[in-house]
Amino acid sequence: MRLALFVTCLVDLMRPEIGFASLRLLEGAGCDVVVPPGQTCCGQPAWSAGNRPLAADLARQAIAQLEGYDHVVIPSGSCSDQIRNVYPQLLADDPAWSGRAQALAARSYELSCFLHEVLKLDRVPGEFPGSVTYHDSCKGLRGLGIKAQPRDLLARVSGLALSEMPDCEECCGFGGAFAVRFGDVSTAIVDRKCESIAAAGADAVVGGDLGCLLNIEGRLRRRGDLRTRVLHLAEVLAGEAPK
Amino acid sequence: MSAAGPSQAMFFQARAAVQVRNKGLQKALEKAKPLFVGKRAKGIAGLADDGLDFAELRTACEGIRRRVVDDLDVWLEIFEERARASGAEVLWASDGAEICSHVIDIARRHGVSKAVKSKSMLSEEAQLNEALSAAGIEPVETDLGEYIVQLAGETPSHIIAPAVHKTLAEVEALFAERHGRPLQERTAADIPLLAAEARAVLRQHFLSAEMGISGANFLIAESGSAALVTNEGNGRMVTTLPKVHVVITGIEKIVPTLEDFATLMRLLPRSATGQSISNYVSLLTGTRRTNESEGPEKTVFILVDNGRAALAGSDFADMLRCIRCGACMNHCPVYFSLGGHAYGWVYPGPMGSVLTPLYTGIENALDLPHASTGCNQCGAVCPVNIPLPALMHRLREIQDERALRPLSERLALRAWGWLAQHPALYRWLTRHAARYLRWLADDSGRIRVLGLAPGWTAGRDLPAPPGKTFHELYAARKRD
Repeated sequence: MRLALFVTCLVDLMRPEIGFASLRLLEGAGCDVVVPPGQTCCGQPAWSAGNRPLAADLARQAIAQLEGYDHVVIPSGSCSDQIRNVYPQLLADDPAWSGRAQALAARSYELSCFLHEVLKLDRVPGEFPGSVTYHDSCKGLRGLGIKAQPRDLLARVSGLALSEMPDCEECCGFGGAFAVRFGDVSTAIVDRKCESIAAAGADAVVGGDLGCLLNIEGRLRRRGDLRTRVLHLAEVLAGEAPK
Repeated sequence: MSAAGPSQAMFFQARAAVQVRNKGLQKALEKAKPLFVGKRAKGIAGLADDGLDFAELRTACEGIRRRVVDDLDVWLEIFEERARASGAEVLWASDGAEICSHVIDIARRHGVSKAVKSKSMLSEEAQLNEALSAAGIEPVETDLGEYIVQLAGETPSHIIAPAVHKTLAEVEALFAERHGRPLQERTAADIPLLAAEARAVLRQHFLSAEMGISGANFLIAESGSAALVTNEGNGRMVTTLPKVHVVITGIEKIVPTLEDFATLMRLLPRSATGQSISNYVSLLTGTRRTNESEGPEKTVFILVDNGRAALAGSDFADMLRCIRCGACMNHCPVYFSLGGHAYGWVYPGPMGSVLTPLYTGIENALDLPHASTGCNQCGAVCPVNIPLPALMHRLREIQDERALRPLSERLALRAWGWLAQHPALYRWLTRHAARYLRWLADDSGRIRVLGLAPGWTAGRDLPAPPGKTFHELYAARKRD
């Protein structure tokens, strides 16, 4: 099985370890993983800003980069939602691209969906001696139906105990440009998320979207919580990188 | 599109900054949020006890509302004919000013000096209370929340809980001052006492008013009736005691049949307050008949456009399905950080972020379609399946198409977009950005102030990247 890994622009810049953890998981499961070299961004920031022509240009670029593989795997619910749910409608009126957009959408998977539904992974390499609580990111949860997949996978991590937080499906207040445009409103929202996380009392909060994780970690630290680790699902499932 | 009422929606960002720091407001919202969310969840879960399924019911409710919105003119004609046949008068208003002139005209014809009102958001669109006062007619709000808001000289901050922004202490202080009595220590157990105090005042108004003004949750086309869904009983008083009853509703509030109304009632109270049915459900048809002891001698329907007709057949037609339950705002993280007043016009929360630009001008409410994290908690609970985030998104696109966004924002997006389409240059720049961000970080690996996104680091530390990008490290790994 030949896969394309779309690492996402945020992982590329802010936390490359998530990309490598995804690689280890997929290669460990026997997949032949390619990281298409020209990939940049899926275009969601342009789409969210309402700039349809730019979002369409970036969609066409990503499609050209990522088509031609059996599957595309993305360690982000938000970018997966863009490719799976937005690309087909964005390019619906473009006869040269609408078919390609649909074909790519059908082959693209958020990481936990791919591990759980396609690879049906029953063992994961990661070990985590402690408790984690899982934050359901909005696009993954409400756009892609990601709920049981990451939890089932976490249950296979040796030593790990899942401790659900109250309101785990509540938005963390990130929302891309929203967090910059309305910083104080976003802070009020993420404060409620931080309280939920504190109520779970876990050693780490785990999620599938780096945007949410940076937002949550940023607020936890500013509030003085230096203890709770903030980890991407891939990092927990893959375990520490070999030194 | 018509401009209705002076909107403050252009100042959302500034108003939000004030409200997010308003301690009393935050306390009130913190109390209300779990109640709204918990009660709805319980109400929806309770559907199973009646052998009902939310998804199926929602599809049915969506279908009923779609049928109406698709042929609005036909249903309105049927309603008008049946309402007239039952003895009611039917008037049409194209905007808020016309609502006001109709009501004042009716009041003058019937010698009205006081009008009691049950909740009507459309009267807020028209700023009817101000118009009535100016015409020498005293408007008295009789819904407890609306009464509180009116006493305080404010506007509702929620469509079904108008005074949700007020704490118990604030209401006590208000009542003490306006009812001319000494201030008392109050706890939540005293809330019924405050309600009784309001009731005693309102009773006199019910008995002396010559006109009752209400909205309608639905207009039933087959019977020409107004359906009213309430909890306090004031709606019954308003619609039966005064000699004149004026119903003000939007033209989109039609449902074809009583059967359809019953279907919608499965989800409306559950979505709003979690109740399987509201305390009162009234179906008001025509005027008092000869064998009846109560009811108005005169019933007038004012059917209002105020921007609605223009939405039919447009990209925003979905919004006309709205049944005003408030579930979208009750599940909105932004609403519950700010309350309703920050939104600057009649409708707050996600529905307001769509309706305010459409009814008061897209260029007059530029922030609102962006005042969303895109979480879709609203769309997920909407009983008539309105894709609220998609509608906000369409408004963002129109802003972009009309170049209504600030130049700096448009240039930044264009520059970033150009860069993202030049992968080699993009790689080079992100490599340097990763190093720069690393350099900005303190010893603990956190960035305290980021000049490019000060809004972000005002409340957070940005976890710094390790200093090399994924693609850089991956290329090195492949070389090894």
